[in-house]
Amino acid sequence: MRNKPKVLWFQAITCNGNTHSLLCANPSRLELFLNSFDLIYHPSLTTHTNLLDIIDSEEKIDFLLVEGAIPDNSDFFSISNKPVKELLNKLVLKSTYIVAVGSCASYGGVHAKFELNKNITGVQNSLDTKLQPKLKHKVINLTGCPVHPEWILQTLFIIKSQGKIHLDEEQRPIELYSTMTHHGCLRNEYFEWKIEPDSFGTKEGCLFYSQGCRGPMTKSSCNKILWNGVNSKTRVGMPCIGCTETDFPRLNMLETTKHIGIPAEVPLGVSKRAYLSLTGVAKTFKINRLQDKLIDYKDR
Amino acid sequence: MKTVDIVERIEGEAHLKLEWRNNIVKDARIEFLNFRGFEYILEGKPALDALVLTPRICGICGQAHLLATVNALENAYRNANIDIEVPQKAKLIRELGLAIETLDSHIKWFYLFIMPDITALKDNKIYKDYEPIKGKKWLGATKIASDIMRALAIIGGQWPHTSYMLPGGVMCDPTLIDLATMENYIDQGIGFFEQNISGVSMNEYLQFNSIDDLNKLSGDLNDFKNLSFEFGLNNSGKSYDRFFVITDILGFKSGRIKQINAGKITHSKIKETTEFSFDATTKKHSGKKYSWAKTVNYDEMFFETGPMARALVGGRKFIKAIHKEHDDSVFTRVMSRVDEIAYLLNRCKKIIKSIDISEPSFIQPKVKLKDIPYSKAIGTVEAARGSLMHEVEVEKGKIKSYNIITPTVWNLGPGSKIKPGTAQKAIIGSRSLKEATIILRSFDVCSVCTTH
Repeated sequence: MRNKPKVLWFQAITCNGNTHSLLCANPSRLELFLNSFDLIYHPSLTTHTNLLDIIDSEEKIDFLLVEGAIPDNSDFFSISNKPVKELLNKLVLKSTYIVAVGSCASYGGVHAKFELNKNITGVQNSLDTKLQPKLKHKVINLTGCPVHPEWILQTLFIIKSQGKIHLDEEQRPIELYSTMTHHGCLRNEYFEWKIEPDSFGTKEGCLFYSQGCRGPMTKSSCNKILWNGVNSKTRVGMPCIGCTETDFPRLNMLETTKHIGIPAEVPLGVSKRAYLSLTGVAKTFKINRLQDKLIDYKDR
Repeated sequence: MKTVDIVERIEGEAHLKLEWRNNIVKDARIEFLNFRGFEYILEGKPALDALVLTPRICGICGQAHLLATVNALENAYRNANIDIEVPQKAKLIRELGLAIETLDSHIKWFYLFIMPDITALKDNKIYKDYEPIKGKKWLGATKIASDIMRALAIIGGQWPHTSYMLPGGVMCDPTLIDLATMENYIDQGIGFFEQNISGVSMNEYLQFNSIDDLNKLSGDLNDFKNLSFEFGLNNSGKSYDRFFVITDILGFKSGRIKQINAGKITHSKIKETTEFSFDATTKKHSGKKYSWAKTVNYDEMFFETGPMARALVGGRKFIKAIHKEHDDSVFTRVMSRVDEIAYLLNRCKKIIKSIDISEPSFIQPKVKLKDIPYSKAIGTVEAARGSLMHEVEVEKGKIKSYNIITPTVWNLGPGSKIKPGTAQKAIIGSRSLKEATIILRSFDVCSVCTTH
């Protein structure tokens, strides 16, 4: 790989959330990225180049980053008057590594729910079948709506420095998507002892029981690599909506579906029997510290 | 002669079709050819899922969409004669989230989107720091925007795309440490404004009230001012000089101004039409129909919305003085947006200080939305680019219909030759493509919001 690998950012059907997520990276890290890689084109950021000229040139791309879902027609969406899929496939031919940045590029995401525009999907499913054997590397999916900026930077830096990256069955970097969102959540103790919050808007309680939190069923590093360097949704009290999994967006994302008072889905890999047994035991204990307000401001 | 150009760096792309006569633009069309169908996606979904879905309309102003959804759903309760209580603390935290997001948008817009075009007007090495990707000022802007956004992550958990607001309040419960930390990030923003943008202290800047105060600027805004006067941007991009602000929020006042006469607004006079817009179900792309953007009028007239409208309707003195001299030109439009950075930084400080952490963050609505047989309501917000309105019909907790009128539809939606849209009218009369593009960009175009 050349000393300063060439990166091209291609935008398809998107809200640009992954672009703005990247711009929210730790500033020193963003600067290091821009100094270590050559960002030759980004529709929102660069000014000197034009996508169609790059496609027509002999220029090779080291990393093709794709943001957004891919339609298979031009009825509702095209780029510079060209079908998105055609441009994507031309770019893929020039590229060594292809990274789907965000859930939309990985599998269609929110945009695939627009039913009038049939067959909106991710990058992997949009590649010409003839092209597939020519790929130098499997498409790398960085799911998340949006993706965390560090996940993008770490993926690029791992490949640049180590020359390889291990992927899971969804083609996501296994080191970034091996743990559950739940890991590192500051509400874990409430999960252990099965304590629900009284309602939204509190520091106490686990959001898994009523608020729809998908933390124990979702693979992501959201509570390990903090967002904007400072926080995560579950830490503040917003349930995980499972945006790194391919069933996002699901229905009724802000409430837990229950059967006879028990969450219909239990933590990944845990049997219902195991879950129920543990819950039964945990609930027999009343732990005042966890039932009380975390911080009591009264008389202080 | 006719020309067609694709404009980028506008959160997507737009096609600018210009008709020239004697090197002057005689007619202009702004075509938005991409459509993602958010209103269709929302149909039939559980009403609370809209809190997750609508922020994803736009990666840069998702919090405005979130708040518009929350306001619409709370109004749906009220219109069904069900009281809904929202604690003052939650209202303030919501406004704070909206203000922080707007700050991020304005800072990035000035340095990443408009200044690269403005400095390109003059081939001079003194502006090399504005160069995208490499320039010190470009990098400095992304740094401060990213730092300010940490303040939003303190209450929202992350940005972009958090849904921490909901009918009845907010999901977070900040501590005093959280509030002080947020204030620290806002103070960093104030430092950036003083040292880089205005070159004067915030206190001094906020006292500015006359056109002569422009001479006191010494920062990057001074570079903008000098280039504007050199290239006539104070005489460029003038439109109807009519302004519209949809709601009272963040200290902005709702109202309208038409030929200096100010008035109140009535929501029923807002009309969205599709004379020039494609139809998603028939996919009709022929005849007069040329864009996915719709047209929105108030009382059958085009109005401009956004920071200039907010400054003038609200009576901010410095912008009023600039407008008096330079009308609704590119210069006034850009100055208004940058002036709003100072206004909002100051406002954020005040909001943070007025939050009482002992109040609840959320009060559970007395009934669930699915127990309301039917209700219809609108929710309004002042977003970074201007007035935003969501209109929702809810039936037993499910969305029956959802309609979104974004600020960019107000400003960039298509009109006719006799009655061009606000941005169209501003572009007509341009003397070069560069000028036409700068005028278009001065509205802070967001392609994804325009068609949604």
